[in-house]
Amino acid sequence: MKRIVVFVSLVIALSLLMAGCGGAATASHLESIKQAGVIKVGTSADYPPFESVDSSGNKVGFDIELMTEIARRLDVKLEWVDMPFDSLIAAVQEGKIDASISAFNYTEERDQTIDFSDAYYTSEDAFTVAEGFTGPIINPEDVAVYKVGVQTGTTQADWLTDTLVADGALPEENLFLYDRVDQAMLDLKNGRVEVMMSDYVPAQALVKQIGGLEIVYHGVLSSGPINIVLPNEDVELQQAVNTIIKQMQGEGFIEQLAVKYFAE
Amino acid sequence: MGNFFSYIVQGAAITLAVTLIALPFGLALGLLMALVHTYGGKFLNRIAAAYSLLLRGVPPIVLLFILYFVLSGTVNLSPFWAGSFSLGIVSSAYQMEILRGALLAVGGGQMTAARAIGMSRLQSIQHIILPQALRLAIPPWSNEVSIVLKDSSLVYALGVPEILRRAQQLSATTQQPFLAYGTAALIYFVLVFASNRALDHLSERTKLPTHS
Repeated sequence: MKRIVVFVSLVIALSLLMAGCGGAATASHLESIKQAGVIKVGTSADYPPFESVDSSGNKVGFDIELMTEIARRLDVKLEWVDMPFDSLIAAVQEGKIDASISAFNYTEERDQTIDFSDAYYTSEDAFTVAEGFTGPIINPEDVAVYKVGVQTGTTQADWLTDTLVADGALPEENLFLYDRVDQAMLDLKNGRVEVMMSDYVPAQALVKQIGGLEIVYHGVLSSGPINIVLPNEDVELQQAVNTIIKQMQGEGFIEQLAVKYFAE
Repeated sequence: MGNFFSYIVQGAAITLAVTLIALPFGLALGLLMALVHTYGGKFLNRIAAAYSLLLRGVPPIVLLFILYFVLSGTVNLSPFWAGSFSLGIVSSAYQMEILRGALLAVGGGQMTAARAIGMSRLQSIQHIILPQALRLAIPPWSNEVSIVLKDSSLVYALGVPEILRRAQQLSATTQQPFLAYGTAALIYFVLVFASNRALDHLSERTKLPTHS
């Protein structure tokens, strides 16, 4: 038994040591991207209209088109790396990908391990209910008496936990965490949850697609601006991306994209 | 709609590739550990036991994340290889137990007899024990094959676009989860069914008359 304990501790110590060796500093990330001629960008392509795949597997959406233009202006090829939303920040942190665009909101917690670009769009939160829902939701806090669904790892999940669950208004067992918003919306329609909190824009898209749902409240609660996720303290890349975002805003490019993807 | 199916079916090639890397890798490692556990000395025996205990005690997905995110500083593996190797490592612990069972089923008498006619330990294992043990291991091993096939769906978490990840994406795009996941389920079933049938057949063909 003792030997096993020693063996286990050795394995753990070894993996910690190896983890500590990670992240060797390169001269300049932007330079190496340009030299390779490719920027690897992560996204979670299951979040229309920001990012999704069409039926032939091509990535489409607001973020997709925006990032394609950014890569074009950086004069590099764009290589998409699709992974679940939860894994994206860790992948940027570990240098598995150069950046990530996936409708990320700024949070202080996220900012500690990665950096954000300037905002390229400002999003709102929405509460969606199934048709036939009677209880009024006038203030956002009113949702506390219902079964509330939300996507794991999002700012909405943080908002619900920090403001409603923390002060006891929303019992923890009434907060339902989902891997994906569309799954949650289907559960909402099926009556397993009563209110769904999500980004306003995808909520609108899903309400239209699924039917039998309606948005009863929208406003800026948790979300606000959305940004591109970049490696921590990668000032050069951040500046390059920010400059391009500013250009695109000046030219009205982003506004046109928003009309194309978000117009009702 | 045709595209819809072909997009998921293309994922089956990746699922198969992950399985075909993980299984033999796990088999080689598992066989080595099973031999070490059965015929190694006291110390090696303990190490092999700890290996099995540790790996069978950790959910495959946790090991997957450790290999991909924690060890990525030293070994730069792509999601595909990291996923395939971690599945192989997890599977090796289970394959080790399967093979160990088979080795024990062959029995110590065979080893004694082989040594008595002048074979070395290694020769006995190679020519007497293994040919019998591997045959005995096929039925329980076919179980492990289906488990690895199905567990290959875990690599979606690293962004490998296999069957499950593609079904998720199409479910999000089309809002038809039943169709998307149903298609995925059907493909998994066909793969598992076909591989089990093939292994049943192999087991019948290779059965020794002494083992009925």
